Amino acid sequence: MEIIEKIQTNKSIDNQTEIQKICLDKLQSSPLPNPKSEQWRLSNKSKLSNFLDYSVNENNSKFDIPYPKNSQSTIRLIIGENCQIKLIEKTYSIRQLSEDELQKYIKEQISCFNQNENWSDLLNLSLSCKNNILGLKINGSKIPPIEIFSYASGNSLNAKTLIIFLEKNCNVELLQVNLGEDTSSLSQSTFFCLEENSSLNHGVVSYGANKSNLLNSLNVIQQKNSEYNLGSLHFKFNYARFEIRIKQSEGNAKTNIKGMQITKKDEQISTYTKIDFDGPNGFLDQINKSLADDKSHAIFEGSIIVPKIAQKTDASQLSRNLLLSNHAQIDTKPQLEIIADDVKCKHGATISQLNEEELFYMRTRGITLTEASKLQLSSYFQEIISFIPVSKDRWDLLDKLLNEN
Amino acid sequence: MVNENLVKDVVKEPYKYGFITDIETEKIDKGLNEDIIKLISQKKEEPKFLLDFRLKAFKKWQKMKEPDWAALGYKKIDYQDIIYYSAPKQKEKISSLDEVDPKLLETFDKLGIPLTEQKKLTNVAVDAVFDSVSIATTFREELAEHGVIFCSISEAVKNHGDLIEKYLGTVVPASDNYFAALNSAVFSDGSFVYIPKGVTCPMDLSSYFRINSGDSGQFERTLIIAEESSSVSYLEGCTAPMFDTNTLHAAVVELIALDDASIKYSTVQNWYAGDEEGVGGIFNFVTKRGKCLGKRSKISWSQVETGSAITWKYPSCLLLGEESVGEFYSVALTNNLQQADTGTKMIHIGPKTKSTIVSKGISAGNSKNSYRGLVKMGTKATGSRNYSQCDSMLIGDQASANTFPYIKSQQPNSEIEHEASTCRISEDQLFYLQSRGIEFEEAVSMMVSGFCRDVFNQLPMEFAAEADKLLALKLEGSVG
Repeated sequence: MEIIEKIQTNKSIDNQTEIQKICLDKLQSSPLPNPKSEQWRLSNKSKLSNFLDYSVNENNSKFDIPYPKNSQSTIRLIIGENCQIKLIEKTYSIRQLSEDELQKYIKEQISCFNQNENWSDLLNLSLSCKNNILGLKINGSKIPPIEIFSYASGNSLNAKTLIIFLEKNCNVELLQVNLGEDTSSLSQSTFFCLEENSSLNHGVVSYGANKSNLLNSLNVIQQKNSEYNLGSLHFKFNYARFEIRIKQSEGNAKTNIKGMQITKKDEQISTYTKIDFDGPNGFLDQINKSLADDKSHAIFEGSIIVPKIAQKTDASQLSRNLLLSNHAQIDTKPQLEIIADDVKCKHGATISQLNEEELFYMRTRGITLTEASKLQLSSYFQEIISFIPVSKDRWDLLDKLLNEN
Repeated sequence: MVNENLVKDVVKEPYKYGFITDIETEKIDKGLNEDIIKLISQKKEEPKFLLDFRLKAFKKWQKMKEPDWAALGYKKIDYQDIIYYSAPKQKEKISSLDEVDPKLLETFDKLGIPLTEQKKLTNVAVDAVFDSVSIATTFREELAEHGVIFCSISEAVKNHGDLIEKYLGTVVPASDNYFAALNSAVFSDGSFVYIPKGVTCPMDLSSYFRINSGDSGQFERTLIIAEESSSVSYLEGCTAPMFDTNTLHAAVVELIALDDASIKYSTVQNWYAGDEEGVGGIFNFVTKRGKCLGKRSKISWSQVETGSAITWKYPSCLLLGEESVGEFYSVALTNNLQQADTGTKMIHIGPKTKSTIVSKGISAGNSKNSYRGLVKMGTKATGSRNYSQCDSMLIGDQASANTFPYIKSQQPNSEIEHEASTCRISEDQLFYLQSRGIEFEEAVSMMVSGFCRDVFNQLPMEFAAEADKLLALKLEGSVG
């Protein structure tokens, strides 16, 4: 019940938006997710409660983007700051969703929420104040790459919400960066709606500092002939949870996901994905990589749901894991639930360590063990990093992963 | 285009073991309480340790909740509406098979189980369990010459109490799960096998379980102990008559393999599955677990699951001994409204342990077939390996196939590989076979048989024939 009180003490009832009230109401009945449910069974309880320890922060302190833009054409947005956007160019337009549009869309989403599965979204929407909700409607062509930042400042719990509608026939490249300062909690919920023939190359890079926490939830609805590509990377969080829910609402859509999570020290990072095929001819290619070192714990749970209507679905899911320490732990559970018979579905999972023969080979060629391990790791990371769109090179991701502790 | 109805017809086959044997039985009252348990124990003239074991289990069971995590839907079981002990009336003590009620022998003959030794077709010793009690065990003397003990668990309690006391409940403790606790409280009979040190069992051992009474549950318990450097192959078959009510079957099987010992446990489960509307059928809740206690020990489970309205079964291996090996080969066929949630658990505890999982699920009609498996590498399981493969075949667009593999590793020097796929009977392959003059029905049967080959190859000869026959039975007859 503490969490409810915390939210309520932060603001008077009058200041609450209707959405916040609805979500709070839903949370009242069960303030915390059921620890025995499949989605939360492995989640570290004390880390989750630590996530909620900080007081809610609605005012955004000045935030400097760590890397300067190298190209004028990139559009950069920080959730909570410059929220007044209206860009109307010859070939495209990006405009903010009106209050009514936002309300209507969020309410629609909430009505389909499942208390346990969407707990992170409920928490986010009950915390997110008007300023911290960014809603965009994008259409047209030749749209410049977009970068969107969410930032959690120290000693506080921050909630940011992003809603994007991609109208028919538009292609967008979008990099979402979630950053957490030391001892901070960030609740990020993202909702995408991809209309017919649209495509989105989406990158998610989340990294924190010591003791930062993240609840990152991503909800995507894909209409027919849309294509959604996601490259994601999560690291350096004391506790992080990445929930991906994708619905191909009419089938005939393509989804590619390449995700990675890296845990060190006593961190716990988990990825939960649920892909619903609600129409025929759907396509999914998913790979999730984990690396667990020291005393950390990496978790992947993926489910693919193919009901009767989703004939001719082609879905594959692969979970590849590297376990590098005697005290680390990896849990993985790729699952298939299939009713349609004319489908091609497969999944695979492996847990192993660095290939000893390859290491040995490199060492015989005069490369030190540390270097050889780094070489192997970089090829392991590169597959995912190269899938992240928009100026990823500037972020020196590979360097961050290999050289920072 | 494949005519889906044709395929569906092919997998339909009336249940041929659905007859009831008209025999006078001795039953106790319905319901479950301490007095009933005391009565069962008293009827079986059990020593005190066993009664205590039962009562303790019952107390635990009362505090437990029926599990609901499996992907199964069934109407609530009323545990007070079940008869927990039912036995065919017979003479006090049977000294030879001639004294067994001929009706019972006839029943097992009908099921193709030769109990009369003259009629033996294969070199298999059989223990036949009818409702709650064991009727007969064949080839005892020959086995005894090798020091092998093969008898009903009730006899073992009387004659080998020390072994029972030492091992019973050590692999599946009473508090393990809801159904294991229930079984521990009320188990009536089952088989006991003891293979002494260095002995390779001269013949395959087999238990045949038959439920005859519609309102009594069957709760058998099997305990197999393989001492150092011994080996045994054990087969288990099950059938039941057709009733329009659901009968509960909650069994526990415990296997213990010591240094260099090997146990092969094969099951062909063909309990009555209910009719096309899903009326009747057996609720099959079984806990099977093997403990590879010794170094280089090996436990291999192979199963062909075609029956039961509900199957809840996860034959597992605890790999404790260094270099011990666990195997699981399974074919599960569900049709009509059958639901199966089955798989295995491979718990790697000792170093250099190995496990292999091959699971083939075929779902037809409106059935639901789930594979649920756990592979766990403990912190001490260095150099261990696991390989899992789960394939599902869907026939028709009403059946569902689910795969839920849980994989957990705490040991970097171990490797786990898991792969799963889903397919259906390929039109191209069917067309090819038909164009070569092979009948549609036979083509389907060949393809299903090919799909299951990895598992059938693991079954002992006698059983491979039976399994093939069983699948063929389900896959032939209704077309043409």
